[in-house]
Amino acid sequence: MDSIILRKEIHKRIDEIKKADILVGIPSYNNARTIGHVVKAVQTGFAKYFPDKKCVLVNSDGGSRDGTMEVVKNTTIEDFQSVLLHHRVEPIWKIATPYHGIPGKGSAFRTIFEIADALNVKACAVVDSDLRSITPEWIELLIKPVLEGGFDYVSPLYHRHKYDGTITNSIVYPLTRALYGKHIRQPIGGDFGFSGKLASFYLTKNLWDTDVARYGIDIWMTTTAIANKFKICQAFLGAKIHDAKDPGADLSSMLYQVVGATFDLMETYQDVWKTIKGSEPVPTFGFRYDVGLEPISVNLERMIEKFRLGVKELMEIWKIFIPSEILDFLSKSAKFSKEEFHIPDELWVDIIYSFAIASRRKIMNREHLLKSLTPLYIGKIASFIIEAWDSSASEVEQKIERLGITFENKKDLLIENWQQQKGVCHE
Amino acid sequence: MNDFLKKVIIEPLDRFWERVLQFLPDILTSILIFILGIVLGLIFRKLFLRFFNTIKVDKFSERYGFVEILKKGGIKEPVSFILSRLIGWLTIIIFFIVALRSLNVPAIEQILERFFLYLPNIFVAVIILFFGYLLSNFLGRAALIAAVNAGWKVSGLVGRLVKLTVFLLAVTMALEQLDIGRGTIVIAFAIIFGGIVLALAIAFGLGGRDIAKEYLEKKIKGEEEKKDEISHL
Repeated sequence: MDSIILRKEIHKRIDEIKKADILVGIPSYNNARTIGHVVKAVQTGFAKYFPDKKCVLVNSDGGSRDGTMEVVKNTTIEDFQSVLLHHRVEPIWKIATPYHGIPGKGSAFRTIFEIADALNVKACAVVDSDLRSITPEWIELLIKPVLEGGFDYVSPLYHRHKYDGTITNSIVYPLTRALYGKHIRQPIGGDFGFSGKLASFYLTKNLWDTDVARYGIDIWMTTTAIANKFKICQAFLGAKIHDAKDPGADLSSMLYQVVGATFDLMETYQDVWKTIKGSEPVPTFGFRYDVGLEPISVNLERMIEKFRLGVKELMEIWKIFIPSEILDFLSKSAKFSKEEFHIPDELWVDIIYSFAIASRRKIMNREHLLKSLTPLYIGKIASFIIEAWDSSASEVEQKIERLGITFENKKDLLIENWQQQKGVCHE
Repeated sequence: MNDFLKKVIIEPLDRFWERVLQFLPDILTSILIFILGIVLGLIFRKLFLRFFNTIKVDKFSERYGFVEILKKGGIKEPVSFILSRLIGWLTIIIFFIVALRSLNVPAIEQILERFFLYLPNIFVAVIILFFGYLLSNFLGRAALIAAVNAGWKVSGLVGRLVKLTVFLLAVTMALEQLDIGRGTIVIAFAIIFGGIVLALAIAFGLGGRDIAKEYLEKKIKGEEEKKDEISHL
């Protein structure tokens, strides 16, 4: 395992700290506006819930030009009494360093894992730098299950707007649940707690030049923890409110990286998921409460229009790997009016499984294949928004659960197609 | 008079007939060789297709990514089919050359010699065309998907235009390699390509003036179209 911590001052800082109990990592890129609040929440969390532990805050930055690292260095809780606390016995250590490797969250996490490994920490957590709703309690909820409950991985559980987290709700959650049999509701939530042992285990995997180094890191961390039988739980953190994620980020690239990483993991852990039947909930910590969420505006007409355009132009590509009856339905649904527009769960599951099989069989360039999913995904989201227009949050949750069950019910078909031989001879 | 007729007409006709009689077996031999080549080509095609299927060439090529490369370029036929066809055609071409040589005509022999010297150019041109075709399909599809995901109504046209442009470039390079109208081809390509760009610029300039104005106004005044606020992750 080659270390990527290149800077001398970081090695010096690690030598100075020697050993720590808790480490919280914050990956960042141009988040000067929001990271101060996150750093304060983490520091208060350390002071309030772990006053006698040696805690380290690590900011792994992707070369910000807006002074993000300076904000991290300069942010301190000067008046602990204002948050009803006395001064900590142990000082809080801070490391702010630029990371190396492919630009992306995964590379930032790699640096955090390396520092955690070097400091031999007992528990770690990572939190996004654009969070507006983070509180000191998040640190307690992400760290305590590891320190006191013996868990290795703490996945977040949030209250989100019914139209928020659509890749999670329509693909990643139901697929992960069906494959690995665990109800991890936010497998790509972005804020996780994990043991030092798991951080060291992550470092043994050499995947840092793949999509894991980008948006794929979250699903990779979750799946690696489940598939390798680490002890997993969830922690309810309340509402997740954050700045718009990478406003410039292209949806199809995001989809390609997340879905691509999920499909890669299907290949890696095929011997694990093929044997799993059904699914079960995982222990969940935290006090659940309802929160008011900001409304989200959507442009349904434009979404349906994009779906129609995809059906018109990409049919020739889909014909190669999607069964004809599904394509017939898609052609018909492209003619539906906004009111009639509907993509059933069964059809959606068949589409996702067809893409997974096509990706395994390498029937075409992977980027082309997965990016051609975008119009279908937009169509499914439009259909979901229409369906959930008048539904309450709990009704929407039930819909997502039903989709998860549909993914589970069709898993046998996936296994059957997955095992079919790749090559076909033509006379 | 008789002498004159004999010298001017009969003797040359006799010599011609003698030459025809000498040449006829060569023609017949070469025709036979050529027919044999066609028959053997067809037989080899069938035999090799079965042979390749028996030794599972398709599975092998799929495992080592050859099929993926071909599919990326839009070639859907199995590798066994392509290879057997190639062998069939090679057999026919080889027998055709042997047939031509068996004619024992110095002019044909000279042409064949020049042809063999020219052969490397043909080989390079075929390779250029092959990779040009693969690349044009690949880039055409990439452009099509990107345009669809960006919501462009003219996505199909964009994809086809990219594919055509890349293939046209490959054809130009191949023709240049073959030394066919070296200067003319490059100029023609430049004129066609430049013409397309100019036509598009004029079309967008005139046809899309209002759209451009509206877009710039929105950008400058900050009146952007209402965007989705969905966080996908």
